[in-house]
Amino acid sequence: MKIAVCVKLVPSTTARIQPGADGKALDLAGVEMVLSPYDGYALEEALKAREKLAGSTILAVSAGPAAASAALTQAYEVGADEALHVKAEGLDAAAAARCAAAVLKAEKPGLVFCGRQAIDDDQWLFPALLGELLDLPHVTAVSGFELAADGSSATCRRRVEGGEEVLAVKLPAVISCDKGLNEPRVPTLKGRLNAKKKQVASKTPAELGLSGADLMPALEIVSYAPPPEKSPGRIVEAPAAEAAAELAKWMRDEAKVI
Amino acid sequence: MSNDILVVAELKDGQLKKSAHELLSVARKLAGELGGKAHAAVLGAGASGAAGELAEWGAESVLAGEAPAGALAAVRALAGAVASKQPRAVLFGVSAFSRDVAARLAARAGGALASDAIGLKAEGGGLQVVRPVCAGRAILTANHAGPGPLVATLRANSFEIAKPAAPGAGTVEALEVTAAEADLRVSVKEFVATKSERPELTEASIVVSGGRSLGSAEHFKVIYALADAMGAAAGASRAAVDAGYAPHAMQVGQTGKTVSPALYVACGISGAIQHLAGMRTSKYIVAINKDPNATIFKLADFGIVGDLFEVCPALAAEVKKLRG
Repeated sequence: MKIAVCVKLVPSTTARIQPGADGKALDLAGVEMVLSPYDGYALEEALKAREKLAGSTILAVSAGPAAASAALTQAYEVGADEALHVKAEGLDAAAAARCAAAVLKAEKPGLVFCGRQAIDDDQWLFPALLGELLDLPHVTAVSGFELAADGSSATCRRRVEGGEEVLAVKLPAVISCDKGLNEPRVPTLKGRLNAKKKQVASKTPAELGLSGADLMPALEIVSYAPPPEKSPGRIVEAPAAEAAAELAKWMRDEAKVI
Repeated sequence: MSNDILVVAELKDGQLKKSAHELLSVARKLAGELGGKAHAAVLGAGASGAAGELAEWGAESVLAGEAPAGALAAVRALAGAVASKQPRAVLFGVSAFSRDVAARLAARAGGALASDAIGLKAEGGGLQVVRPVCAGRAILTANHAGPGPLVATLRANSFEIAKPAAPGAGTVEALEVTAAEADLRVSVKEFVATKSERPELTEASIVVSGGRSLGSAEHFKVIYALADAMGAAAGASRAAVDAGYAPHAMQVGQTGKTVSPALYVACGISGAIQHLAGMRTSKYIVAINKDPNATIFKLADFGIVGDLFEVCPALAAEVKKLRG
């Protein structure tokens, strides 16, 4: 079976994010870029699936600007067999999904793993849209995954409001991965050296048969802005009982929540 | 495309979720700005019963489908509703259901998706949506002019809830829900309910969270007691979850749940960026922390510098007093 993993390079969780001069994009100059953490769970689950299904191989895919191939190098470091970078600028999540779908239509993977969300645009869009475009079922935010020995189906667990759902899904399918699914392995020195020897293949959207319209962002960006500044709040340093009484009154009179 | 707005309401145990009221409030306002109408669709057991309430809340027509539907069948049914109403926008709450359905529906209807919106208004003949990106480190404002509808999931407690002055008298229509064979490729086999008397974290109007300074799972009962006194949901920081003091289901933050309550009470939480990601759009923020230099105080509308083990029980007692 071919197992696909979709990955994305994103600003690190602790990076300071600033809008660019014209406010139409984020200024990522000098910002540390990392593999989106949820994609790490996707990659690990793909490796586990390959261990279980003899003869299977892993194809890692990413769509984005030139720098995005660093995410694919990371996939090589932990043991992906192939990596393909669809090179394009200015993709939104939907356009990136159309790029990945164009690749995977031809590759016909039995399983596709994605992170539940890329931690930059936070859309939670990519796995579901990929499923739609490939006409495959998808399961969102999976925190437990059990693959049937014959690779024809899987059992997924996921946290939902008020509890946990257990789902059965027929493969091929797109699985969106949540924290708690696994502990991503750290690349070994040997893995790193192997990755250096491997080339990340690249294609343009046009080579995949995509048109300009397929790559257009769905929304017209008006602006990126820093989160609104909060005016300094009231800080109380007083004995607990006194401070608590004041806070309770504030909750009733100002916040109006009790 | 019409200037109408379609709300997708959700049920829990046959009752409308609170988000339905919020969504219809937004839909009525938008429809007013655009000169269109608000409609609602509701799926699952209890849909017909809930339809009346949706009409009262201002839906001019309610499309109700009683049949239980998996995610793919729901997309199919809702695509039918979109085809019939041709709305400019389709509004969902943020939920496991909408995370599954909204993106596929947007694609099938030839529209666009905007997740976790915290603002939405009519603008230049189209719509303007505001949503946090990079876990709230930046706020994106974007316009949608078509083609197809804007499918938006709205973050809870981010919009005004306003009941119509007089109850609406919209019509109720049956929504056909038929699962095609392909829709059965994924199905829920089991639901294991978490035993909790507290409200759901992502829907609660008050959240009380504890951090690593709680020191143990046993000590978290201070948080639970305060949460219960306030009718709040209980949350935890990643540090507290990683230390094993609270289950992952309670984690608020970048790799946990995003909450946006009317009031967020952070107890013994320093304010790591990854925690702020999960709660910074809360309307009011309260911080209780021993360390006067903790980052969380910068975000707090009300802060108490003090020992949470003293302040939280005292606060629980005061709240009980005020509530009588």
